[in-house]
Amino acid sequence: MIPEARDVLADMAAQAVRSASRELRLVTRDEVLEEVCAILADIAPEGEAHATAAPPVAPLPETAAGLEGLAALDRQELSALLGAVLAAHPGLAVLQGVSGQTLHHAPDLLSRTYARILDRKGSPLLLVAGEIRANSRDYPRPVPVELFKRPPFDLTPEDIAQALAAMAASPEYQDIGSVTTGTGAVHLFSTRHLERGYALFLAQRSESLEMNP
Amino acid sequence: MAKTTPPTLIELAASVAGMDAALSRRGFLLLSASAVSSLAALGLCEAFGANPPLVILDNAKGLILADPSRCVGCQRCELACTEFNEGRAQPSLSRIKISRSQNFGPLGPTGGTGMQGIWGDGLVVQGVCRQCPHPVPCATACPEGAIRADPATGARVVDARRCVGCRLCQRACPWGMMTFDEERQKASKCFLCNGKPKCVEACPSGALRFVPWRDITREGQPAAAALAAIPAAQAKACADCHAPSVRKPPRR
Amino acid sequence: MTRPDGGFAGKVLRVDLSTGKTSTLDTREKYGALLGGTGLGYQVLWEEVPAGTGPFDPANKLVFATGALAGTSVPCSGRTAITTIFPSCWPKALVGSGHMGGQFAARLKYAGYDAVIVEGRSEKPVWLFIRDGRVELRDATHLWGCGIRRATLEISQEMGADCCVAAIGQAGENCAPLATVVNSLSHSAGGVGGVMGAKNLKAIGVQGSGGVRIAGDKGQWERLVKFHLSILGANNQHVVPAFPSPESEYYSPGSRWVGEPGKRWGAARPPVEITGSIHDMSRIAYRTNSAAYFLGEQAWKHTVRGNGCTSCPIRCHTTLKVPAMATKYGVSEIAQGTCIALNFGRFFFPQQPGGPKGQSALEACMLGMNMADDLGIWSNYGQLQRDFIKLANDGVFKAKLGSAEYAAIPWDKWRAGDPAFLLDIIPRIGHRQGELGHVLGQGSGGPFEHWGIREEVWTADRATTYWKMGHPKHHANEDDGQCGVIINTQYNRDAQCHSHTNFVRNGLPLAEQKRLAGELWGSPDSVDAPGHYTRMNPHKARRAKWALIRKELHDCLGLCNWMGPWVASPLKERGYRGDNSLESRFFSLATGQKLDREALDLAGERVFTLHRALTIRDMATADMRGAHDHVPGWVYEDPKGAQPFSQGTIRMDRADMALAMDMFYELMGWDKATGAPTAQAYARLGLADVGRELKARRLLPGGDAA
Repeated sequence: MIPEARDVLADMAAQAVRSASRELRLVTRDEVLEEVCAILADIAPEGEAHATAAPPVAPLPETAAGLEGLAALDRQELSALLGAVLAAHPGLAVLQGVSGQTLHHAPDLLSRTYARILDRKGSPLLLVAGEIRANSRDYPRPVPVELFKRPPFDLTPEDIAQALAAMAASPEYQDIGSVTTGTGAVHLFSTRHLERGYALFLAQRSESLEMNP
Repeated sequence: MAKTTPPTLIELAASVAGMDAALSRRGFLLLSASAVSSLAALGLCEAFGANPPLVILDNAKGLILADPSRCVGCQRCELACTEFNEGRAQPSLSRIKISRSQNFGPLGPTGGTGMQGIWGDGLVVQGVCRQCPHPVPCATACPEGAIRADPATGARVVDARRCVGCRLCQRACPWGMMTFDEERQKASKCFLCNGKPKCVEACPSGALRFVPWRDITREGQPAAAALAAIPAAQAKACADCHAPSVRKPPRR
Repeated sequence: MTRPDGGFAGKVLRVDLSTGKTSTLDTREKYGALLGGTGLGYQVLWEEVPAGTGPFDPANKLVFATGALAGTSVPCSGRTAITTIFPSCWPKALVGSGHMGGQFAARLKYAGYDAVIVEGRSEKPVWLFIRDGRVELRDATHLWGCGIRRATLEISQEMGADCCVAAIGQAGENCAPLATVVNSLSHSAGGVGGVMGAKNLKAIGVQGSGGVRIAGDKGQWERLVKFHLSILGANNQHVVPAFPSPESEYYSPGSRWVGEPGKRWGAARPPVEITGSIHDMSRIAYRTNSAAYFLGEQAWKHTVRGNGCTSCPIRCHTTLKVPAMATKYGVSEIAQGTCIALNFGRFFFPQQPGGPKGQSALEACMLGMNMADDLGIWSNYGQLQRDFIKLANDGVFKAKLGSAEYAAIPWDKWRAGDPAFLLDIIPRIGHRQGELGHVLGQGSGGPFEHWGIREEVWTADRATTYWKMGHPKHHANEDDGQCGVIINTQYNRDAQCHSHTNFVRNGLPLAEQKRLAGELWGSPDSVDAPGHYTRMNPHKARRAKWALIRKELHDCLGLCNWMGPWVASPLKERGYRGDNSLESRFFSLATGQKLDREALDLAGERVFTLHRALTIRDMATADMRGAHDHVPGWVYEDPKGAQPFSQGTIRMDRADMALAMDMFYELMGWDKATGAPTAQAYARLGLADVGRELKARRLLPGGDAA
């Protein structure tokens, strides 16, 4: 397999992933493969583009040799090569989705943090728990429950209540806790990373910032 | 002269005004097809008898559009204009104008409920050169032919080598958009920064956009009395005061 | 080819109100070593205002001074410092500065001046007309008794709509220590309005046709300006958005970067939707909405736009339109402000219906902004309001005001949180009516002085947030542990330093902040987690010194310390780094005088040390540690009894803070016992003559030991 083929595939893959990231979509290897195959099918053996459908992505700086090399691969080989270039591409990120799928995005267009949120949108429980744990670990800080009502979470109060109830009942989520500040606002945190007393302090502090110009 | 359109239109106009000799001496009459078709569209055939145009410039290709509802009054556009072009932050010489209406709006410190600007309803109305189509007031007023259309952008540009500092252009602009640099004794105006206006780039709220040109000279209120045609005797009197600046005698 | 005469306008204007005479002097010649701004102000006070001068004496001077970078497109460069003997400093007025933004700094530069020194006292009310070289004192009798809005309107009619007017209102005319001077609607300098009033100076109107020359290559200059823009965050240089964004790895609900795509300026006609990339250079003005930050989501529908200082893309002043203000209260529907001034109204109320982000709070803020910025009242960083609440709740008003005066105040409205209460109380203070108006207008020193209240009662009560000398804390231990405390000890009014808090509240995770801190101040241990402070170390001392020096430097250059320094950025590709040398790079290019970061910081240190010298001289003691660098008792307590350095408290430890001051003094080259600069410290900074003067007064540490 010639190196040009790998380079050409890397460019095509990046373009496809970037295009999806711009639209705030995470893509699987199979979805990228479909796009790549469509482009390759559009190109005649002599290297001329068909006059039919335009490629779904912008024209690429491809070399004829690279395309030839790719065209010579069967679908399984192409898929394997695609997996390798997606994992290795410095401008792309890989996310192990909660569905078990491996997902790809361009982090400069769709940050890892945001991709994680998008991936979990199908499950309020995973969405809320994941965000609580990440915040408690990374900043560290609790998150106000109000956060989950706003974009990009867009959960209803019922969704949130249900998710919290499910967490409370599940052994896997016993680390998820809540504190209530003097104003009655609820903040959520993970005991894996934050102690209750400190979580309460941070929650109260976050409310105090608006009175501390 | 272009031969794609009836050639006698301009010649007719010039001879009616007695300017045919002057036209050829000035030598900057641009008769591209687009200019002549614009003239035809404006119905100048009928108007030629009374006020024949002296200066015909191709329309500009681009225009800076200013949206007061987005203007945040920061003056970064004014600053970019002079600072990045001349290395001197000097809003009084800026070719986009904010300072004069920033506080009280275009009508000034009237008080009352109609006032705009910071002390009124908050709206800042920017002053932007309209890159006027023919007849171009500043170019028409210039006795030296120093205001011409830039070939690349069509912007009406003061050629500083030709400018003698008489300020007739300043007098002529209905919107008060000409600037005059007292130090250099030269007029200046918006020249669209060679197609990449620095004010547009500098605006932090997207209130300025560089768009394909269209005629907006009939929109908005003039800020100053327009220089109408001046009878010959008065024109002679004007010339007594509006003489070339003593610091820069005309180049002959 | 660079000529070293850029940046500065070149002249300082001196106006003697007693004689009516004006004169000019060369800025660089006389004040070049002190740069401008507060540095210039401190030099004038040192040389010309004797120790013991009272704030309202004709011998006091008011130094309106901006800096070399003002008037250019350097982002966040619209600031003016006003240095004087500061009236609200208690019990003895000492050197202090008010600060204002708006258009004044730039207009002053275009008129050809870096500063205006106002001295003496006029027999009759006057206003100062400055247009290019034309300087006149004009009659202001017809304006005396008018608010700032009318004064500005009428002066603009006389002078031209394009001028900038800095005016006092009735509070300043009445020599209230808590009086402001205001320009451009909402840009107020605290504390100095009364000094203008005492001098019978109603206003300064300024405009100029000149410019600021950039000495260096204009292409290089443009690139540096664009670089600065690229590393900007939102207000207070918060570098991550308040909302999760596909364009950012981090977000922080406490960030002032609230301009989320999808929100809109609802009161613009038509509304302006926020769209596009949050990093787009033509969208910087949409990042900040101070009204939304403080008053909640409801503020968006009332937002007309952002506003602010010349050249600043941040627009931290929010212009609000609330129709109810006209129908309910008979005041303008439109008001504008940021931070504490925006909160002026609602801070009077312990509680309001709907809470701090409800409709009543919004209306209170609108009333507060409108009235305070017209009467020209300073809140003393909210201390006016906190004192008011405490005095009311403690029964002091009832005891000290006459029964008629007390009964005339609509306390029922106050208890109900009704914004209409402000229609009574704010004019009382602005016009200094009655006992309440007269005493509260003096700042915390008023009740101490006149109502027999001991300062210790305030320093023991954390709810007052009172710090010392008549003023409150300003980003102290609640934000930044030992650094915050050190910073708050150093001035004669509230510290007005944001270098430190801009960094610790910038929204980056602690690990990122510590990484940057290691690069900037030598160790990740220079920064702690909020409320989980560690013991004092030399790196924190270094950071505290940096914060103070840079604040002073900004005040000398015309830069905004509410935005700078710009040492962190939103840019992941830069590792969230900003540029710690930005000030010196701009200064060198603008002026042609090439100073690297260390050299410019040294000038800032010179300025800060001169402030120290002035304080020592005018307090007539070198024992700064004992007499001046105070920390209130509440800092060393915790309402739940939590121990210092445990997780979840801002409680500091006395021994540790003593060590902190030791380390800070040592780092500054000051005497450890007293915190007073030594002769060597003065000499190292080019202030040897200052050292000699203090030596002659026996005000060097160790008596007359050199």
